Amino acid sequence: MNLAEGVQLVSFAILAVMMIGSALGVVLFSNIVYSAFLLAGVFVSISGIYLLLNADFVATAQILIYVGAVNVLILFAIMLVNKREDFKPLPNAWVRPTMTAIVSAGLFVLLSTMVLVTPWAYSTESVSSDTTIVLIGQHFFSDFLLPFELASVLLLMAMVGAIILARREFLPDQVITPDKQQQPVLTLPERPRELVGISSDKTSNLDDSRRSE
Amino acid sequence: MDFANLVDQLNAGTILPEGIVLTTLMVIVVGDLIVGRSASRWIPYTAIAGLLAAVVALYLQWNNPNPISFLGAFNSDDLSIVFRGIIALSTAVTILMSIRYIEQSGTALAEFIGIMLTATLGGMFLSGASELVTIFISLETLSISSYLMTGYTKRDPRSNEAALKYLLIGASSTGVFLYGVSLLYGLSGGETQLSAIASAIADANLSQSLGLVISLVFVIAGVAFKISAAPFHQWTPDVYEGSPTPVVAFLSVGSKAAGFALAIRLMNSAFPLLIDEWQFVFTALAVLSMVLGNVVALAQTSMKRMLAYSSIGQAGFVMIGLIAGTEAGYASMIFYLLVYLFMNLGAFTCLILFTLRTGTDQISEYSGLYQKDPLLTLCLSICLLSLGGIPPLAGFFGKIYLFWAGWQAGQYGLVLLGLVTTVVSIYYYIRVVRMMVVKEPQEMSDAVKNYPEVQWNLPGMRPLQVGLVLTLVATSLAGILSNPLFTLANSSIARTTTLQPIVISSHFSATVPAENSALQTQQ
Amino acid sequence: MYDFEDKFRNMQLQYFLLLAAALFCIGIYGLITSRNAVRVLMSIELLLNAVNLNLMAFSSYLDPLEIKGQVFTVFVITVAAAEAAVGLAIILAIYRNRDTVDMEQFNLLKW
Repeated sequence: MNLAEGVQLVSFAILAVMMIGSALGVVLFSNIVYSAFLLAGVFVSISGIYLLLNADFVATAQILIYVGAVNVLILFAIMLVNKREDFKPLPNAWVRPTMTAIVSAGLFVLLSTMVLVTPWAYSTESVSSDTTIVLIGQHFFSDFLLPFELASVLLLMAMVGAIILARREFLPDQVITPDKQQQPVLTLPERPRELVGISSDKTSNLDDSRRSE
Repeated sequence: MDFANLVDQLNAGTILPEGIVLTTLMVIVVGDLIVGRSASRWIPYTAIAGLLAAVVALYLQWNNPNPISFLGAFNSDDLSIVFRGIIALSTAVTILMSIRYIEQSGTALAEFIGIMLTATLGGMFLSGASELVTIFISLETLSISSYLMTGYTKRDPRSNEAALKYLLIGASSTGVFLYGVSLLYGLSGGETQLSAIASAIADANLSQSLGLVISLVFVIAGVAFKISAAPFHQWTPDVYEGSPTPVVAFLSVGSKAAGFALAIRLMNSAFPLLIDEWQFVFTALAVLSMVLGNVVALAQTSMKRMLAYSSIGQAGFVMIGLIAGTEAGYASMIFYLLVYLFMNLGAFTCLILFTLRTGTDQISEYSGLYQKDPLLTLCLSICLLSLGGIPPLAGFFGKIYLFWAGWQAGQYGLVLLGLVTTVVSIYYYIRVVRMMVVKEPQEMSDAVKNYPEVQWNLPGMRPLQVGLVLTLVATSLAGILSNPLFTLANSSIARTTTLQPIVISSHFSATVPAENSALQTQQ
Repeated sequence: MYDFEDKFRNMQLQYFLLLAAALFCIGIYGLITSRNAVRVLMSIELLLNAVNLNLMAFSSYLDPLEIKGQVFTVFVITVAAAEAAVGLAIILAIYRNRDTVDMEQFNLLKW
């Protein structure tokens, strides 16, 4: 093992520990803000791993999009829904995490067995030294042209739709002819059924006047 | 790289129908932006015209001699053409029924139709996608638009909740699906074309490896979510109840058809080596879906929810054709989906009409409807009876064909179970019909007693009437005159080369890699 | 000597895949146990990142000439961003109506 490989192995170990640790923090911390910041840690360490895999462009994209956009978006959402909310404890609250932990551990054992027993078909070609961005660009405009163009439609509609759902609704003036079937706007025409369970007390005061926004 | 040569290789003419839908979408989005609110008068009709034009373009591409386009990313064979046609038609009918509904719920129509067209686009591309990245992107285009439509009535907590559940379950199933897809990419040593994957895995001697089995299970989880097969159905009743009814109609027909197209292509092209395994998994899914869907539907009191469970059961019936794995099996799937398109959309049109007039969708509120609105009663009865499979109607022939194909393929147990659950399903469909027709005037429900006078001249009611009559005629005639549909389904399968397992390795390795290597040399 | 290096190089692919599998399982755990809707969304991001790690590892070790896996990863990143935006919009809408993000409270639609 020469020096370069030793450095690679050590940095891989550091990044892996960082990633697993932050990922566990994301799902285990009770404070959602900690989770959001640790999620950024996961993204950054994954980006480092991409660098180890000779993928400079994707590593950059990972930082720019995940840390720069998705994580910031999540932080904004946390701030917008920021109410100190202590979830009502459920009866037998320990059962579900324990069961899930067992299932997840089993899944991990299964997947790692699969990873270790499969004889992967290693490529014998040497890694091309030039930057990956040229190759990725060529793919985008030849064999991945169709998904590339379709992704633009997807992003457009996701943007339009997200704006529609998230914007503060200012109610349109009544364009519908005022017949007797008038209903509250932006709701389903069907009447709700009899509500069940613990939420019935919450939903009884669902009128919009309560909110001052 | 020679540009003209590349254009030639892309063979972009095969996506002309999708191009038409995309152009319509752009016209609607931009037109609404420029014209403003008054645009909602012409927008739905533009959308329907665009969709019908797309269907015509699909018809013109029938039996295309050179279906592979975009260097193998898209396969516009006859199988995909039928599925794309089903999806486009279902959207056209759904738009007919959504105009009045959306206006009455006070939401903007243009954006709704825009999102629905995007979903259609995703579904159409999904039907023909023959490469992993294209499959993923078109699947996500379909899914994300569906999440958005589900939450479209954003003031309604039920709609919010349905959208949240749909998004979270859908996104996690996408994650699991993608994990399976990434394993496929790895096992095949870096291939993303479905056909190349199969042959690469066979070459690498991994055809019975643990990795391939895990990848199969994960991929099926994603597909089964899309076709809402039990036990991946948990989202269906909630989403169906909470979303605007036209969205439910689209999800139960268009989105489901796209899921079946994906299932056929993925299982036959990428997993031909595991044919016994995937047929076994789908058998389990079909058994669970038929039993669970049809039995739980018995207990429902809400019409939307009942149709949700019934659609789970119907998905189970359609899977019999997939499991049979013969040409007759696939043809019967297509035939059933074509018939299902009209009968299910007809039922939803009636449901919307009743909801708009009375503001409820409880089954008990339908009692005595015959006295007040014979047309609605007739249409709903015909559609429900057809869904149940009562003889002279279209659904009967669809079911017979499915069961016959299954029987021929030796799936005796599955067919018998299908017959038993059909009887169960007839019970709950007939219950609604009986409630509407048989009840005496004094047994009428309150909603029907206060039933408003039938007015077809209100804005947005005409299209609903057109949709009602159209689906009624199609459902009743498709049974008697089922021959053209039959021929369509059969010939689309007969001309689709990917469905003959032996052909896969020889045919594709001859064409697709040749194209790829041609591109390589030019680079 | 060469053989050892080759083996070492080969082992590394498994390291990356094991890491991805661990991340995937953590994501699944978070998906099922989280009660905060935003955290469920974060778990989904973890799942997608596990997939990306898989794809990148395969791309680098099995497909270094074409690097299709890297292209796939770029697409997954794109879609993940769109999905996060849509998901947070939906969470915002439901928060306005229900004043909570507790998954256990979202049970209007149960029978």
